[in-house]
Amino acid sequence: MILLDKLTKRFGTQTAVDSLSFEVPAGQIVGFLGPNGAGKSTTLKMLTGMLEPSAGRATLCGFDLQREPLAVKRNVGFVPESGAVFESLTGLEYLEMVAALYGIPRNAAQARIKQFIAFFDLSFETLTDKLLGAYSKGMRRKVVITSALLHNPPLVFFDEPLDGLDANAAVGFKALIQTLAQEGKTIVYSSHILDVVERVCHRVIIIDKGRLLLDGKPDELVAGHNSGTLEKLFTQLTGGAELERRAADFAKTFRP
Amino acid sequence: MSASENVPPILPEPAPPVDKTLRRLFLILFLRGRALRGLNRQGAPKSIGEKLALTLFFYLLMGCMALMFANQSVFALAVYLHAMTFAFLGMFVAASAGEILFNKEEGDILMHRPVSSRAMLWAKIRVLIEVSLWLAVAFNLVGLFVGFGTTRNWLFPLVHLFATGLEALFCTGCVVLVYQLCLRWFGRERLDSLMTIAQVIVSIAAITASQLLPQLAFRLHGALDVSQVAWWINLLPPAWFAGLDDAVAGSRMRESWLLSGLALGVTAVVLWLAFVKLARNYESGLQSLNETLSPRITARSGPRWLDRLVDLPPLRWWLRDPVTRASFLLTSAYLMRDRDVKLRVYPGIAPVLVIPVIFLLRGSMVGTGKGDPGFGVPLSGIYLGLVPLFGVRLLQYSQQWQATDVFRAAPLAGPMALCEGVRRAVLLLLTLPMLALVTLIVWFMRGSFSELLLILPGLIALPAFSLVPMIGGQGVPLSLPTDAAKAAGRSLNMILVTAVAFALSGLTSVAWSGGWFWWLVLGELAVVGTVYTILRFHIKNCGWPAETT
Repeated sequence: MILLDKLTKRFGTQTAVDSLSFEVPAGQIVGFLGPNGAGKSTTLKMLTGMLEPSAGRATLCGFDLQREPLAVKRNVGFVPESGAVFESLTGLEYLEMVAALYGIPRNAAQARIKQFIAFFDLSFETLTDKLLGAYSKGMRRKVVITSALLHNPPLVFFDEPLDGLDANAAVGFKALIQTLAQEGKTIVYSSHILDVVERVCHRVIIIDKGRLLLDGKPDELVAGHNSGTLEKLFTQLTGGAELERRAADFAKTFRP
Repeated sequence: MSASENVPPILPEPAPPVDKTLRRLFLILFLRGRALRGLNRQGAPKSIGEKLALTLFFYLLMGCMALMFANQSVFALAVYLHAMTFAFLGMFVAASAGEILFNKEEGDILMHRPVSSRAMLWAKIRVLIEVSLWLAVAFNLVGLFVGFGTTRNWLFPLVHLFATGLEALFCTGCVVLVYQLCLRWFGRERLDSLMTIAQVIVSIAAITASQLLPQLAFRLHGALDVSQVAWWINLLPPAWFAGLDDAVAGSRMRESWLLSGLALGVTAVVLWLAFVKLARNYESGLQSLNETLSPRITARSGPRWLDRLVDLPPLRWWLRDPVTRASFLLTSAYLMRDRDVKLRVYPGIAPVLVIPVIFLLRGSMVGTGKGDPGFGVPLSGIYLGLVPLFGVRLLQYSQQWQATDVFRAAPLAGPMALCEGVRRAVLLLLTLPMLALVTLIVWFMRGSFSELLLILPGLIALPAFSLVPMIGGQGVPLSLPTDAAKAAGRSLNMILVTAVAFALSGLTSVAWSGGWFWWLVLGELAVVGTVYTILRFHIKNCGWPAETT
């Protein structure tokens, strides 16, 4: 479903993603991890056609990213970290606009939107009567997730999807992506909430400074490195091992 | 990757065209505006039809100024109409193009959808041109009747509509071209600041032009034709389009035809460059907006020099209070860096400079001699006193208004120290340069140092004026949503303030002629001193204003 071959992105002299290569088969949930500035969002933006790679190749759903970008985009759903929406539109106007961009007929789109409204416990009145600018962060996130899944894509990228969702919505969302994977969809899940990644993902890819550090099943990786949890493994790999000692030292500066 | 892994298409094949959807989207975004940002308590969608109708009505009213040209030649009327159209459209398109063409957030929303950058560019350009044409027609509607009434030639409305449409295309093309060239030559990081400077200049030029042109028109005395104008006027774009009107429905002189040719030729070249030749840059431009590198703050950007300056006397003494100092630096940074604040503040205070110049010009035109300074010089001084009033008021608004919660969270009993910081920033960074400029202009136009004394009453009133926006604990920097700025009844305030300024200027003028100028100064000192003390006492004891959003 996803094939990366030495994918690279440079911004001037800075290399954000450095010869990244991996393959993801259909139906897998992949946790895509890394510390801040590791190149996760840049990779996701390249894979969704938002950024042009500086070098390397990527094939998604059988389409070459550089030669057939529109075909890739039609088969991909993306929830960006920013959760950006057009704030001057109502929720319904926004979702209808997204549906129209994928060529979904209006009636089919409305029926689909209603299914999502029911799932996310949104009120139809809010969706029709309020501009997105007036929505809470959680409601806005639900609209963004809906807009990514509206066209039923076989491949979905989530960048911090739980940001702003309340506990119930988060539980529902985790169940949803597991079911989607069982239905054969491929999910790439980027997050800093590592215990969720450990529970939900079949496989974890960890990158740092644009390079691949580790790739494998979470339990095998944790056992292989004898780290106990994915969180501890992550901090070991990305230079966060001294964080507890540094926190203790810093806390001393607050003493009167 | 094996072919068997290809997922069968779920969506209709072939992909449907998205032009209509994009056009509708950008039209809604354009007309509703992006200023809401969650600040609207109800958040109810606004009718775009209503908003458009109001905007068109406003432009129609502005176009009524064409009635003053009822007895002018076709060329004079056409120059006026095209100059005003050019100024208004230029300002409007320059202000909107950045949001429409290169909207940072749009990348996360649209660029991973099956939409090509070219389709997006064309939809945006189409919307820009459509709205420009509507506005241009609304503004020129009265002018069409005035022209028809003057010439009794049915060709005038037709050719003027054509020339106006061409001008709207030219304006839009120019702005798009400037954006593309800036992006190509200077890169994404400098695009924002360059375009902000360009927008501020265009906005100030538009305000200046709209105030000065009618005044200059009074000097034409109804006899202006294309062969009589100064050569440099023909270098200006409005004259080219006016030439088209004059060639078909006016004097039909050779010069008019030459100007018409210029209008057609230059517009064609601009459109080709903006929409064909450089359109390929647009995709890379949009992609570059998605680059997540933090913008570097170079040694030249931002008020680094100011950071050093506030550590030195006399600013160190003037900004002793740490809260006032922090507020001063915050306001200064926004005045120099923030696009939204710059676009509101600098064009907002431009009339303060322009209106006195008009009166100085008129004074010289109606023949008030060197011994009689007339009305212009004192008015310049009074208007100068209004700079802090407008400045502090305009600096209350920001798109990041929610960030000012930090002020209320801080252990401050009231906003006095914060407001004082803004006031001092406005005095130093806006009022002082304006004072230097006004002094130079008065000296240049009047050629007399002694007349500079007439600015004094304005300067005396300045400290009191600067406290007015802070009454009731208002004036907290950057703390109000930008939508409120639009609904703040600016025009009514402007009329009131103008009335006071005119009254005081008249009094000063009479006092100067009557030989009791210094008595007026003494009296004003006493009154302003009292008002200033009362205001300061009141503001010092003010708590935080109630939150309304």
